[in-house]
Amino acid sequence: MQEKSSAKDAHSLFVLEKALAETNICLYNQNRTFVWRVYEMFELQKEKSIEDKLAILADAAKYDVACTSSGVDRKGKKGYLGNSVAAGVCHSFAADGRCISLLKILMTNHCIYDCKYCINRCSNEVERATFTPDEICTLTMEFYRRNYIEGLFLSSGIIRSPGYTMEKMCETLWLLRNKYKFNGYIHLKAIPGAPDELLTLAGYLADRMSINLELPTKESLQRLAPNKNFNSILKPMGKLTDTIAAHRLAVGKDARMERSSGNRYLENSIFHNDKLEDSMRTRNAFLPSVGKNEQMQRPFAPAGQSTQMIIGASGESDFDLMRTTQQLYRSYDLKRVFFSAYVPINEDSSLPALGTPPPLLREHRLYQADWLLRFYGFHAEELLSMEKPNFHTELDPKCDWAIRHLGQFPVEIMKAPYDVLLRVPGIGPTSAKRIVQSRRHGTLSFEMLKKMGVVLKRAHYFITCAGKMMYKIPIEEHYIMSQLCADNRNENWELAHKQDFKQMSLFQDFAVSQNRIATG
Amino acid sequence: MFYYTCEPDSAAMFTCIYEAWASGKGHHNIRLCVEPVEQYTLFDTYIHVDADESKAEKVVRTLQTQLSHAFFEEISFVTLSAQEDALDTIYRVMILGFAFGPKALEMYQYKEVVRFWEIRKRVKREVHLFPEFLRFVSLEGGLLLGHFEPRDRVLIPVSWAFEDRMPSENWMIVDDVHRMAVVHQADKESVLRILTDEEFEKLCEAERYKDDFTKRWQIFFEHIAIRERANSRCQQTLFPKWMRKHVTEFQK
Repeated sequence: MQEKSSAKDAHSLFVLEKALAETNICLYNQNRTFVWRVYEMFELQKEKSIEDKLAILADAAKYDVACTSSGVDRKGKKGYLGNSVAAGVCHSFAADGRCISLLKILMTNHCIYDCKYCINRCSNEVERATFTPDEICTLTMEFYRRNYIEGLFLSSGIIRSPGYTMEKMCETLWLLRNKYKFNGYIHLKAIPGAPDELLTLAGYLADRMSINLELPTKESLQRLAPNKNFNSILKPMGKLTDTIAAHRLAVGKDARMERSSGNRYLENSIFHNDKLEDSMRTRNAFLPSVGKNEQMQRPFAPAGQSTQMIIGASGESDFDLMRTTQQLYRSYDLKRVFFSAYVPINEDSSLPALGTPPPLLREHRLYQADWLLRFYGFHAEELLSMEKPNFHTELDPKCDWAIRHLGQFPVEIMKAPYDVLLRVPGIGPTSAKRIVQSRRHGTLSFEMLKKMGVVLKRAHYFITCAGKMMYKIPIEEHYIMSQLCADNRNENWELAHKQDFKQMSLFQDFAVSQNRIATG
Repeated sequence: MFYYTCEPDSAAMFTCIYEAWASGKGHHNIRLCVEPVEQYTLFDTYIHVDADESKAEKVVRTLQTQLSHAFFEEISFVTLSAQEDALDTIYRVMILGFAFGPKALEMYQYKEVVRFWEIRKRVKREVHLFPEFLRFVSLEGGLLLGHFEPRDRVLIPVSWAFEDRMPSENWMIVDDVHRMAVVHQADKESVLRILTDEEFEKLCEAERYKDDFTKRWQIFFEHIAIRERANSRCQQTLFPKWMRKHVTEFQK
């Protein structure tokens, strides 16, 4: 017995020595609690500045896609800081062209999990840091006052346990809402495996909740994230959906989240049937209520929930991804499903090799298709099938669909109903609405359509104005496809090859310092 | 051809519309434009109109009662535009409005309506984007000071966004192009102020103030981008360079 305990101490001492010798290298063994304490001690000793922590934890959070501040309209009030706008507000655009709307940070990048695709996995040797709740609150408030951000996006690696992590995140949100009087937008990434009571508390404090699905199938999740399982993700997601619906019904709203107003006119829309209600009725899973006090008189996750899936790390087809997305919209009433092109950051035999360019064109096609589901009344099964499981690389999904259904075209612009107009490539919800409004007052010509915002470059193959097409062209599949592909060629090439070539820089690529050159 | 000209503010513009309409010279013989006129023509007559509150009010009331409040709102947005033909376009659209009713704005068959929406879109874009891209510096004592350079006269609609966003803060937004400022005192109504040269210079000086959070924001901005996805063209499309003049993250 004594031998056993001395061996354990020796092992602990070895871990401690190694941890202190190799600064900020995270090592977790089976004795996780002990090692975590070592790190707490170490971080206290080291005392990283807020700037260092911000650099580390923003870097660690950048692979999370969602940065939207949309979904809820909330007026500002005296004594509080902030409001919220349903359309969302983008405050800046980063060097990669992505919107910066929220202060997107991790609470900590320490993690006990070892997900193969994640930069913060416990087996990775990366610099680690942890924000205290007060530091996060101060940063959020001061950035918000200066109009840098619209709110906070808080995610975290798992420290000690999912419950402990979630508790610390809830504490941060509680302080922000009640001590710092923050009335802006908060997006909270829920931790799978955290107790339901904490999810309830988080729902009252945050505007949007999200749980990352990460991978679209059970098998790939098991392979790449051995510490997670599909149930621990879908179960809380279902509970959140049902609890949000119950709270919406309680205040006289529809159980389902608001969708684009155009969906009212689209009978074929994925939101236009009661499948959601069916699944909710059968699931009937709610989060437990926690004693509500005055400080929690807030709607429950009023901006709904979202999720994200990684593209290109596992072998799923676009059809699998689209079907999963559609299912999530219908059964879980998610506001958004985000796709993240996998950027190879870890060396692992089950992942694409380091240096492989992220599949940006594929991600782009998936987002185009996602828009077709949410605004244009398409279904995943219309766009793809088991025989054709991936999107066309040179054509956008709507053009691809239209070419495969040439029998339905050309449509007469003066007579076609709204839902048919929406299916014409080059016509979107705004231009379709303008066409329907203005044709009541007189005939429309191609010139007028152009001024209304119709992209005639794509649309002219599929429409007639007063019975005539714009040019004399054959309505023939190969001809139209070759023309449309030629139109898109430059844009597609750029998206597909953006990472292949770049101008090399003496300073970045060869690490030549400017001072050395200056001094000769 | 008779050109009716006025100062670029809403009251003068509505008075100009009133005078032109009441002149009885025939709509096709009249053009309206705001001053300064860039190029005078040789054989046309230019008539300057001064702002008259009562005449402007009459135009506003007529638009609201005989057409609709929504119609008036769209028109009042276009009066903020700095486009040369904005005032004349409003006049032409009003003629269509009185002929066909408020639905005239849906008649894209008329080139005046198409132009009206183009101008309105430009103004709306600035009203939408500047509350996002405007940056404040936090001066000692907690006063927030923000400068921006809009093309259109959008200071007031931009300030509405901040009245709701930060009602209990002291802040000031300065329009560097039109030399005006909206000043908001915590929990009170905002006021508009035309700036003197001296005041403007002092405010420009104060904008250079930097604190810890300026640096922290620049660190965050740099680290949140994914290097492998770098796309400066997309960034430039979504955040045009002319809007970056006073934006913290792009300051050296």
